[in-house]
Amino acid sequence: MVEKILKLFKSELKVVNIGLEFFYKSLKDQNVKAVHVVWQPPPKIEKDLQDILGKIL
Amino acid sequence: MVIVKNFVKKNFYRDSVQLLHLSEEAKKIEGVVDAAIVMGTDLNKELLEKQGLLTDEGRAATDNDMIIALKVEDSTNIDEILEKVEKLLTAPGETTAETYYYSLESALEALKDANIAVVSIPGQYARDVVLKLLERDIHVHLFSDHVPLEHEIELKKIAYEKGLLVMGPEAGTAIINGVALGFANVVNRGPIGVVAAAGTGLQEFTVLVSQAGSGITQGIGVGGRDVKSPVGGLMTLLSIKAFEADPETKVIAIVSKPPSPDVQDKIINYIVENTKKKYVTCFIGGKTFEIPEKLKGRLVQTKTLHAAALEAVKLVDEKLYEEAKKKLFLPKEEIIKIAEAEIAKHSEKQKYIRGLFTGGTLTFETQVIFKELIGDVYSNTPLNPEYQLPDVHKSIKHTVIDLGEEEFTAGRAHPMIDPTIRLLRLVDEAKDPEVAVILLDFVIGYGSHPDPATAHLDAIKKAKKIAEEDGRHLTILAHITGTEKDPQNAKKQEEILRSAGVIVLPTNALMALTAALIAEKKIDEAKIGKFYNEFLVGKY
Repeated sequence: MVEKILKLFKSELKVVNIGLEFFYKSLKDQNVKAVHVVWQPPPKIEKDLQDILGKIL
Repeated sequence: MVIVKNFVKKNFYRDSVQLLHLSEEAKKIEGVVDAAIVMGTDLNKELLEKQGLLTDEGRAATDNDMIIALKVEDSTNIDEILEKVEKLLTAPGETTAETYYYSLESALEALKDANIAVVSIPGQYARDVVLKLLERDIHVHLFSDHVPLEHEIELKKIAYEKGLLVMGPEAGTAIINGVALGFANVVNRGPIGVVAAAGTGLQEFTVLVSQAGSGITQGIGVGGRDVKSPVGGLMTLLSIKAFEADPETKVIAIVSKPPSPDVQDKIINYIVENTKKKYVTCFIGGKTFEIPEKLKGRLVQTKTLHAAALEAVKLVDEKLYEEAKKKLFLPKEEIIKIAEAEIAKHSEKQKYIRGLFTGGTLTFETQVIFKELIGDVYSNTPLNPEYQLPDVHKSIKHTVIDLGEEEFTAGRAHPMIDPTIRLLRLVDEAKDPEVAVILLDFVIGYGSHPDPATAHLDAIKKAKKIAEEDGRHLTILAHITGTEKDPQNAKKQEEILRSAGVIVLPTNALMALTAALIAEKKIDEAKIGKFYNEFLVGKY
């Protein structure tokens, strides 16, 4: 059951960074292959609008 | 005339580290005396107030709004300055655009063979992202905090079934294949595998092992809740299984604050029944347990990170251990000498310790050691609930503060990155005539401030001056969790601190011991001997 972990231990790391951009920069500083996902919180919907949407959907 | 202006951008989000960087850039704009760009949380508003940077406009901002607080030489060119700040907010990063993606799907499309993900988004949103990653057989380092417990249980059960790692939530550190993920140090590779439910515990352990001349295969952070009953140690157990099967790993260390008793039993029983390798346990502040007959000689129980690192090295190579003991970890005669010299400089009135920590595990370990040597101490995270500080911003008697806790970090970067909160607190503590010793941890490595020692210099000098002008000597002790190979270079950091009159100790445990001796104002050699035997070496 630990094959996938042992495979990771033997592989070159290829990292998806989601969130704090500076962790991505840290990976780049270490010459690690990485991509960065720019994450934004979902837009805030006012509660009354949410209630209306809840009724419609 | 210098004036302060606040501008509020409604519903405008940038992460705390980006904002810290933007604040630094804004300070460089001509005409700007001081600047802070922060999200409008209560904590940030309180700090702006302390820094003299808050106006009524800023006061009205909410958690979802961004405050641009500027102190400028005069108001004539304020529009021009604001325009420059706005430009900073929209400027693209220095990195090339082709590695930036706006959806997980497109990022995974670009890096098809991704094998691990680092997730650091607000905790309430983490579940959906991690589920998608696990579906694609990608291991996860989940840095986020505030992930609901039920989400953690769900994610870890799925991961366990699939044989995938979910490191976290609230895992600050991991070192996989020598790569630092989150906050982590550049340490030697070697035969010791470590699984830790304690972020700075993992950092201190790996750093000390490396300084002792050995190294680690992998450092797996699993998050503090992994060893509590609801999660049941799922990732700790999976990591042990992986290390047991990994041909590179010869010695396995398990580091955490006290696990729930049922989880501790489960871990120990698993080791008894299913393993053959050598083990070091370091359940800081936990109860000592009877080592099962079958594990005698191949499991060492330790009480501090200092002892855990030394014992792990000993299991690898006895000779290396003997050298490390002499070279790295000060003998008690040295500690006594340091303490006596400081005691002689203090007045009768100076008797209290104030620990200002950035590392949670280091705060905890310090309290565990103090409990043994000087009793319970006040804290925002006390061992004994009766010692909870009523106001976390005001110390009482002996106080040890974890500045990485929520009340100091809501909407701002962690104090390992942004030292502002600690600098203000350090100067405050120096004003108290009853304070004898201040403790500072410097956790360096990837993720942390690029030069924390220099960033603390002015505040250290100011604190010492305040005490001097009042006819007192203020002792400042520090410990650096870091190596010479870290980007900040531990040795350079140490030199900078020493140049400001700071006493730097080689381990967190020794810093706590030294502080306790100074505060007690007397040297009890028997007690120190007992401490060395129980806390700095392991039990077989």
